[in-house]
Order: sequence, then structure tokens, then C-alpha cells
Amino acid sequence: MSVDAPSKKPIAEAVEVPTFQITLRIERYNPEFDTESHYEDYEVTVHGTDRVLDALHTIKWDMDGSLSFRRSCAHGVCGSDAMRINGKNRLACKTLVKDVNPDKPITIEPIKGLPVEKDLIVDMEPFFDSYREIMPFLVTTGHEPTHERIQSQADKDRFDDTTKCILCAACTSSCPVFWNDGQYFGPAAIVNAHRFIFDSRDEAGDQRLQILNDKEGVWRCRTVFNCTEACPRGIEVTKAIAEVKRAIITRRV
Amino acid sequence: MSTTTSADSNRGPVVTDLTTKSPYERRTHSRGNFELWSWLFMRASGVLLLVLVFGHLFVNLMTGDGIKGVDFAFVAGKWSSPFWQFWDLLMLWLAELHGVNGVRTIINDYTERDSTRLVLKTLLFLSALLVMVLGTLVIFTFDPCIDPNSTLQQCTGR
Amino acid sequence: MQTHQYDVVIVGAGGAGMRAALESSGRARTAVLTKLYPTRSHTGAAQGGMCAALSNVEEDNWEWHTFDTVKGGDYIVDQDAAEIMCREAIKAVIDLEKMGLPFNRTPEGRIDQRRFGGHTRNHGEAAVRRSCYAADRTGHMILQTLYQNCVKQGVEFYNEFYVLDLVLAESEAHGGEPAVAGVIAYELATGEIHSFRAKAVVLATGGAGKVFKTTSNAHTLTGDGMGIAFRRGLPLEDLEFFQFHPTGLAGLGILLSEAARGEGGILRNSEGERFMERYAPTIKDLAPRDIVARSMANEVREGRGCGPNRDYVLLDLTHLEPAHIDAKLPDITEFARTYLGVEPYTEPIPVYPTAHYAMGGVPTNTDAEVLRNNTETVPGLYAAGEVACVSVHGANRLGTNSLLDINVFGRRAGIAAAKFAQDAPWVEMPGSPEQHTLNLLEDIRGRAQGERVADLRRTLQETMDRDVQVFRTEESMTEALEVVQQLKERYQHVVVQDKGKRYNLDLLEAVELGFLIELAEVVVLGALARKESRGGHFREDFTKRDDENFMVHTMAYRTPLGANEQRGVSIFTDKVRLDYKPVNVTRYQPMERKY
Repeated sequence: MSVDAPSKKPIAEAVEVPTFQITLRIERYNPEFDTESHYEDYEVTVHGTDRVLDALHTIKWDMDGSLSFRRSCAHGVCGSDAMRINGKNRLACKTLVKDVNPDKPITIEPIKGLPVEKDLIVDMEPFFDSYREIMPFLVTTGHEPTHERIQSQADKDRFDDTTKCILCAACTSSCPVFWNDGQYFGPAAIVNAHRFIFDSRDEAGDQRLQILNDKEGVWRCRTVFNCTEACPRGIEVTKAIAEVKRAIITRRV
Repeated sequence: MSTTTSADSNRGPVVTDLTTKSPYERRTHSRGNFELWSWLFMRASGVLLLVLVFGHLFVNLMTGDGIKGVDFAFVAGKWSSPFWQFWDLLMLWLAELHGVNGVRTIINDYTERDSTRLVLKTLLFLSALLVMVLGTLVIFTFDPCIDPNSTLQQCTGR
Repeated sequence: MQTHQYDVVIVGAGGAGMRAALESSGRARTAVLTKLYPTRSHTGAAQGGMCAALSNVEEDNWEWHTFDTVKGGDYIVDQDAAEIMCREAIKAVIDLEKMGLPFNRTPEGRIDQRRFGGHTRNHGEAAVRRSCYAADRTGHMILQTLYQNCVKQGVEFYNEFYVLDLVLAESEAHGGEPAVAGVIAYELATGEIHSFRAKAVVLATGGAGKVFKTTSNAHTLTGDGMGIAFRRGLPLEDLEFFQFHPTGLAGLGILLSEAARGEGGILRNSEGERFMERYAPTIKDLAPRDIVARSMANEVREGRGCGPNRDYVLLDLTHLEPAHIDAKLPDITEFARTYLGVEPYTEPIPVYPTAHYAMGGVPTNTDAEVLRNNTETVPGLYAAGEVACVSVHGANRLGTNSLLDINVFGRRAGIAAAKFAQDAPWVEMPGSPEQHTLNLLEDIRGRAQGERVADLRRTLQETMDRDVQVFRTEESMTEALEVVQQLKERYQHVVVQDKGKRYNLDLLEAVELGFLIELAEVVVLGALARKESRGGHFREDFTKRDDENFMVHTMAYRTPLGANEQRGVSIFTDKVRLDYKPVNVTRYQPMERKY
């Protein structure tokens, strides 16, 4: 195609964006007043292009300022606003309202398996503790080269998928094993171990594999695939876990 | 006003007053390969059981008179051969261990208290032991002529 | 209240903060205070790359990079700083690679490089491949890599601690001049106030994009670091220079990297014309951001915009191979699909300029020491990253130079702060240093009725978008100034619904709004006084650059809060005073800026 040809669709989407009414059913919990959580319904007017985060902001800014949730970048790269939307772990800023069946009330709950601090905010420390345990950093020995280390594009592509992780915890908190037993490392920690185990520059793969060979490591994965389904970055989480299992078997057996 | 200074040991951020024993803090590190072998065993035994079980079903149901032919005499006939004794023994052990390991996993995943976990697992292992001991015993001590009036070939020929 | 004591306290855990922490934590006891978890910082949203004259794919030279930076910044760049940045860029990239950053590679396995806006060979001859990248998530990889290395080094983080005040005290040891004593922070989880005593403080809190409505910035980028320094009487430099990134998703402001054009994307108007050929005949779509943004706005203004309201132009990637797009631009094409329902393989993407980067900020010298006037520094106070103004970006930052800035000057700040802390004596905290912060919070929380935070913020952002964006005039900005001054008044009656202690983000937003209003006023005042057009600051009533009168940095001051201020929310002063600081010119004399 010629580079300077007029584009096929010069005036895109020449339609008004519709607005509609939705109901958000949000699980609320304030430790200063409540002994347990309860649900509250909010009627919100949204635009066709609005995200769930926009609806939450409408509530917080114009209706009930006490509603608390984390958010930052608002376009799916910071990982602050993972929550359960209609029972599925999603980033509120990457989920369009029109895509989550807005005819019925939309249920919004905090992610499962981590202690709820307030409303949709959970304690992320256990999650990051697991992450830190798998040595999530490049380990090398010997002399530092003066220039960059040489790595082929193919070797880089080997672990490219798992470098996309934003540590939002959507995967870990979608895992039924983790729900019931916080001892499990969880998919996110394994994904981040994978990122280094398969990095041709790294030399601590065996140590990480040993850590993940733990009772609470990869062997607790039941290949439920919830994590792959939940990942807002499209990482093939379950596949990454399977690759780590295979690596443990081939290197240790 | 509480004061912590640099010398203080608890200078890290106190985010929540988690109880002394957080359910998340990893309590032990296993350094053995038990879970690895157990995971491999599940796959290997699964594959083997497919052969054993379908072989068993095929021989029992499809050959000869099919299901109508299965009676005391049929079993006695099979167990007179060491091949079928070994086949059935393997099938029994693998199926039992495979099942026990699966249930162990489920108990690990779904019990919330350590004490419940201990009780359930003890019951599980005891029942497994019982089944395997009894089953093994039956396979090797099976006497086709236990009935003195037996008209079976093996007995009458004596 | 809890008190803590560290040699070095770093405020902010984005790229600059963590890069500084990596240097200082090995040399001195260091704490990093951050209002977000470190990996949530907006460094992670940067996409295109980080420029350094590695010459991995074609001939290049850091001196050319310096020239591009100076020219891109419309000559108001401090050239000594730009030289340092471009020279140290090479080491900065190599350092990141050694830390584990997964760069895209050349066939030989070295770091791959691609073209980027405003980066040229031999002083403007042609576009050069200078940007080192990891697909279109270079910033994400930098943020992750720095955090990973902080974990490796055991850097101490205080997550979700919001620093609300900088404590300066007159110190005998420093000749009776104000020096750093520490910071006051608010713990979001508990609502408790913490006082951190420190010998050195590094501000690395990022930008203030939320003064505008359409912005690529995160909700949390509210100019906190600039605000606390300003309230303590420290100047803010060149805040009128704000970069509008050409390709924000229309209506949303979400960033689509310049890499899209670096990889061959083309901007078109409603007639399908590649209009950048008219505005920058040599490098066309890869002209610096201010020029492209202005050209786009001009196309729309002259009726050649697209869409039902003719209010955007189109970024055309349809002539690129889908496989190429997937390999080089996977994330941004997903943004177009997710948020606009546009398939970039076959349809052009609606785009419009979005507020992106504050070139100005807390003035520092090249060692990241904060200036309290044109020449003197504040002992123990450092700043790096978008919060700071070194000034390496001048009136318009070149694409990728922000990632360079945080790495080069973050590193320098960390080293300098640690070194200072090793030798310097402790400065006494004044009595009840937390009083001002307590008053600030309790005044807002205690108010029973008043105006909503969101209403004020909306007014502010809409005004700034309308009056102080790509095109500015005396008239529009006078109007904006009036609104901002009304908002200062209205802010005294702002109310929050959440009166609790734990995770009171309602209160947090109210405090953030205070900073935004304060900074917006500085932006407008600086822009009003600068009667010329230069880089990101374009005046329709003064369309030419005026080197005779305005080849200077703006320095804005306010009356400082007293050492132990009791004024609560009446935090704004009536008067902001503008002063000017000469530009450091070494080897490039100002020339006309043509591309």
C-alpha cells in the first residue's frame, strides 16, 4: 500500500457516545466501624466508553467520598486497581463498563485471599513477600564486562512474556490454592522467577528452582488456569509455571 | 507519643498489626524432592493406570463370554496365573497411591486448620494402608478351592 | 506520632528515587518513602526508550545528542547539565543492562536502537537510531529492574507513606542558613503522622500533570514534591514550560509512544494529508513534541480535524506489517483496541495532544543539589527526576530524555546525598515539626460542610486545558489566573466525607488538590510573564522567540511558611514573586529552530 494514500476511514466513529445507567454493587468494609463487610448499591450514569474505574471515581468524587480503592496510572500499566468485577479478577482501569453486562448490577469486591484493609484495598505485603523470596533480580558471577552483556534476540524472547508482569496480584488472588492457603508462593512469584530462570544472562536459576521445589512451590499448582485468565497483561501464567516445573524435573532428576 | 529511633529493631513500616504468626509467613522450607516425586508419580501412575485399567476391563468384559462370564471361577482362573496376580497387584497399589495422593492434595488445599489437616490425613493414610494390606493379602493367599465341594478344574484335578 | 532517623531519606520510589536509593543505600542508612508501592510509579508508563549514543547500529556521538537536547529545548537548556547527561547516558544504559534490563537486541546480540523524535545525526542532518528500548515498555522494564535491584540490596521502603512537609531549620553548622532537618509523612494505612529526621533528603516525587484535564499522567501525579518545597520558600524554575505529547488517545489522554512514529507511523488530518510535511519538511512526523503537538492543534483549529466534533487527528499505522507492530509496539496497539475499540492493523488511531511532562520544577545544580536562589544551595536537599529542573530539558524535553534524566541525575543525587550525609552534622528538628501538617489535615477533616474536592479539581483542570494548553494568550491566561485565584479562596472551604483514619484517600485527594492549585498559579504566572514563544510555551500574541529578553529561567518564589506554621489550610500566600536566572551556555549559541 502506498504510504501517502488517504486513510481508509478518515472520520472514525462518527457517532455520539451513548450514556446509560448502571448499578454498582460494591463490597464495603471500614475497619473503624464495621465488624464485617456488606454490600452497597450505587446508581451511576456512565458513557459507553467509560471504564469501571471511571464509574468508581464518579461514586467517590460525587456521591460517597469514603469509598476507598487504589489506583494510579488508569491505563493498565501500574497494577494498582486489581479487583473482582462480577467475580472475575480484572483491572478496573482496563475493563470497559459495556463489557461486563451492565444491564444487571455489577458486583465489585476486593481481590480474594489477601486481608482486606478497607473497602477494595487489601494488604499487599504477603504478596510482595512471596515475590521477594524467589530472588527477583539478576545474579551473575565473574568479572563485569565493560560493555553490555551479549544476548541474542531469541534468548531475550525466551522470557519476554513474563517480563510483562506488573505485580497487580490479579493472578495470585484468582488461584483457589492461594485462597485457602497463603503459604503457597502463588502464580505471580513463579512468573517472576521464570523471568530470571530463563534469562540466559542469569546464573542463579538453580537456586530459584530449589526455592520453587518447595512444598509451597510450583507443585501446588493444579493447572486451574484461573491465573492465565485473570492476567491483565496477557501473560500465559500457567504455561510459565509448567515450564518452571519442567525445568525443575530436567535439572534435578 | 511513641518514639523509635535508628537503634530500634522494629523500625520497618508497621503496616498492619498482624498477629505474631501470620498465615502468609512461610513457616518451613522443605529442601527434599518429595513434592517433585509425588507430582511425577501422579503423571506416571496415571499413564500406567490407563493401560492397566483398560487392559483389565478389556479382558474381563470384551473377551470370552464378556460380562456374563465373570464369576468366581473366572477370577479364580485369572489368579492362578502369576501374570494376572502381578497385574492386579500393580493396579491396586497404583490406584490406591494415586488416589491417596490426590486426596492428600485436596486436604492440603482445602483444610484451614492444621489440626483438621492432621486428623484427615491420618484417617486417609490408615484407610489406604488397610486397603493395600488386605488387597495384597487376598491376591496372594487366594485359595480357589476354599469350598471343599468345589467343582473347579483346579480343585477337581487334585 | 512516631519518629525515625536515617542518614538519607528519599521521597518517591519511581525511577529517580530508586536509582538514587541504589547508590545511597550502599553508602549510608537510607529510607525510601513513597505514597505508592514502588512498582506503581509512573516511570512504568514510559514506553519508547532511553537515548544514549552507543553507536550500536549506526555512527553516533554524545556531543550530537547534547546538541539535539539543547536545540530540542529551544536553547534554554543549561548546556553544562545537558553535556553531563548525554555523556553519562552511555554508562546509564549499560548500568541498566547489567542490572538485568531486557533490552531488545541487534542481530549481534547488542542493545538495539531506534529512531526517536528530535534525535539527529551530526547536528540535524537526519534522524539517528539512538533510543535503546525494550519493546514499547522501556519504562516498565526500567521501573521493574530498579525495584528488583532494590530488593537485591535490601533497600528499606516505607510504602504508602505520603510526605507532606519538608523540615528546614537554620543550622549553625551550615553558617546559619536553612538546612535539611527531615520530612513529615502521613501513613495512609493508619492515618498516623511520622517524623523522619535525616541529614539528607532527596525529592523524587515526579511531575504535576494533573493540573491539566487531558493528561497522560497518573492520578497520583499531583506535584507533591514541588509543592512542599515551594511552601517552604524554595523557588520553582520554569514551570510554565509544560510538554504536551502529540499522541494521546483522543479524549482520554492515554499515551501512545512516539515510538509509533519512530517505527514509521504517520499523522494525517481529515483530508488524509500527511500534514507534518508542511511543518517540518526534513524530519516530518519525528519533529520534537512541541512542534508536532502545535501542528496537530493547528490542523484541528483550521477545521481539518477528524471525528464527529472534528477535534482530533489520526495516527496511521495501517501501512506497517502487523507482525512488525506486534514485535515493536504491542502495548500501545492494545490501548487503542481496549479503550477506543480501534484495530490499529486496519484503522488509524484518533489522537490529540495530552499534557505529559513538566520541564520545570525544583531548581538544582548538576549534582542534584537544590537551589534556594540563583546561586546558593540548601545543604542536604537534593532533587532528581521530573520534580527537578536541572535544567536539561529547557523549554521542551526530547523524547526518551526523561528516562535518561532519572537514571543520570537519580544516580548523581543518590551519590551526592550519601556523601553529604557521611560528613555533615545532624540538624536539630525544630519543636513540634509536625504541627503544620497536623493543622493542614485536621482543618480539612474537621470541616462539617463545604465544597467537594472533585468540583474544584474539575474547574481547575478544565480551565487549564482551555486556557493554558498548547496555545496561550494574555487574555486566556488572565482568565485562568482569575479562576485559580478564586479556587485558592474556595479551597479554604473544601470538605471531605471520609473522616476516618485508615486509608483516608478522600483526605489525601484534598491535600493533593492544594498542591495542584498552588502549582497551577505558578504555571500561569510564569507563562503570563514570558512574553515570547519558546518550546512547549507558545503565545499567540508573541509568536517569536525573544532571546534578548527571555533567554533566562523563570524562578518563582512565595512567602515561606514559618518554621512552625500554625496557619492550617490557609496555606497559600497572596503573592508569588517572579525572578530570573541566567541560562548556562557553553558551546551552542541560540539559532533558529528548524527541522
